[in-house]
Amino acid sequence: MPQIFLDGQAFEARTEQTVLQVALEHGVFIPRLCWHPKLSVAGNCRICVVQVEGRSWVEIACNMPVSEGLRVLTDSPLVREHRKATMQFITLNHPVDCGICDKAGECTLQDYHVAFNGEASISREPKVQATKFHRLSERITLDNERCILCTRCVRFTREVSKSNALGVKNRGDHSLIRPAEGDDVRLLDDDAYSENIVDICPVGALLSTRLLYKERVWYLQATPSVCPGCARGCAIDVWHRKPEWKLRTLDARHNTAIVRVTPRDNPAVNGPWICNKGRDLALLLERPRADAALRKGRAVALDEALAAARELIGRARHPVALVSSWGSDEELAALDDALGDRFTCFVKDDHLPADGEVVEDDLLIRADKNPNGRTARARFGHQALQFAPDTDLVLVWGEGCDFGRLPRGVPVIFLNAFLAAENGHAEVFFPTSVHTERDGHFTNADGVRSAFSRCVDRPTGVVDAERVFRALASVPAGVAP
Amino acid sequence: MSSIVASLMPEFERLRQRFPEGFDSSMTLPCLRRIQELRGHVADEDISALVQWLGVPRIQFEEVLSYYTQFRRRPVGQVRLEICRNVSCSLRGAERLIGHVCQRLGVAEGGTTSDGRFTVTTAECLGSCGTAPVMVVDDEYHENMDIEKADRLIDAMSHADGGRGG
Repeated sequence: MPQIFLDGQAFEARTEQTVLQVALEHGVFIPRLCWHPKLSVAGNCRICVVQVEGRSWVEIACNMPVSEGLRVLTDSPLVREHRKATMQFITLNHPVDCGICDKAGECTLQDYHVAFNGEASISREPKVQATKFHRLSERITLDNERCILCTRCVRFTREVSKSNALGVKNRGDHSLIRPAEGDDVRLLDDDAYSENIVDICPVGALLSTRLLYKERVWYLQATPSVCPGCARGCAIDVWHRKPEWKLRTLDARHNTAIVRVTPRDNPAVNGPWICNKGRDLALLLERPRADAALRKGRAVALDEALAAARELIGRARHPVALVSSWGSDEELAALDDALGDRFTCFVKDDHLPADGEVVEDDLLIRADKNPNGRTARARFGHQALQFAPDTDLVLVWGEGCDFGRLPRGVPVIFLNAFLAAENGHAEVFFPTSVHTERDGHFTNADGVRSAFSRCVDRPTGVVDAERVFRALASVPAGVAP
Repeated sequence: MSSIVASLMPEFERLRQRFPEGFDSSMTLPCLRRIQELRGHVADEDISALVQWLGVPRIQFEEVLSYYTQFRRRPVGQVRLEICRNVSCSLRGAERLIGHVCQRLGVAEGGTTSDGRFTVTTAECLGSCGTAPVMVVDDEYHENMDIEKADRLIDAMSHADGGRGG
């Protein structure tokens, strides 16, 4: 374990580390634009320069291996002078159009420009003009003028998503990030992880087309959550409008809508990446919602629905429950506690792979398209659904149940978050919350338990499944009211 | 596989053995160069054949081809005239030379004559400042050029059987 010195302070380092890695691990700040912890070292941005004590020049920290007794200055006058010059160079052809740039507010270049340079350009040469709004894929728009050619996106498609969809074409100040052409290439459209390049872009060059000019990041807040899209359970941040910036004049839905979803680094699950399906969580969670309890299709008060359900359960001798694999650990426990000993339980796949969806790959995407199947099966078993002939009540929780395959004439208690024709076919229906409307945990396929937090309030009329289960508890078996 | 790549394959295989394992992308440059020497330009089918054989993603070939302006992606004339227009050559009349050659052959810069005989391109420094202006005919340097010398060269090469031949 070599010992190195950063600005005179001693740190233990591992042999394979670079100076930049040691510094970041111990909270010593060294700026970086092209370097990314999960990508190879490119060393092209030159902003991470440091000075080895006693030398009259600077070197890049991202590519400097540690050695015993290495003494490095991260903020010497020479380093500061070089950083400033580097910023001048990087912004030579950058339009510095932060005022109309979607990245403003979370842009590394903007932060560094303020921190290390902060001056207007000293260049009197006209800036190089390049393509604006280049459609890189259906999801991603590229502004070549803002691009600083750090090649993070290129390395991502080569080293992480392995689509090899991007490269740097031409040379010098003509250089452009461009996709491969030809019939035998994988397009960025076919890269299930493509939108990560928007996150790792240190400038405003790569932009999400869907959000283009739609939002300012300082009006948004991120809530830690878990992606329910598959059994990987990636850690995500779900972005909503801050309550203090509530819109009063536009459609009120803007105040509760998911603006964007970004990965939240969790080395145990997903690292800093998520797939494109996770970005589209709004498509999944913001489908039309059920917002009223129903009794034979007629809207009733929640208490009336609960009373009806209690009556059905009280009368049933052989009730069956189809358990949602989208239920949180807490909800599954509540169901087990409340009704586990009364019901024969089968775990149901709420979602199956959709047409055209990547079913499984060796990076993140898992074939089980439900977030909590592991916990559900650990609690309720792996047995396949089979109705005994004497089944006299079915409780269906969540989506993915074909009502046509339920035993005929048997009453159904149905819990579902979304509007569906089946809601009205059930004897009793409860409109349930989605996971962004409550706190809880999912346990992924590898057994890692991740917490998610409430992002927005439940819509009026919607109830947590956990509350329904508790209210239905302690109905004794076979007791007619 | 394109016929050119197929014919070069024994040579490529020998070349590959000179690179350590895992350095297949280093083969892009020499392979593309040999293809261009034979075909005059690099065609899409050549890239496809190399992608298949080397397993190097297509984008890496496209990067190399667009980085080096010496690579050509389209067919060119039988004779390539390349005239330098950097500082030294321009001071010694390169712009006049370029204008004359283009006018005489009836092409724009970068264009090919309608009979497919000549292609005229310009370059930024061909490394022959001491003998400026310089015109490169295929891979042959012609130094201290002026309009008369250029005319004589073009006259000699205008017929398929004259000059360097077809």
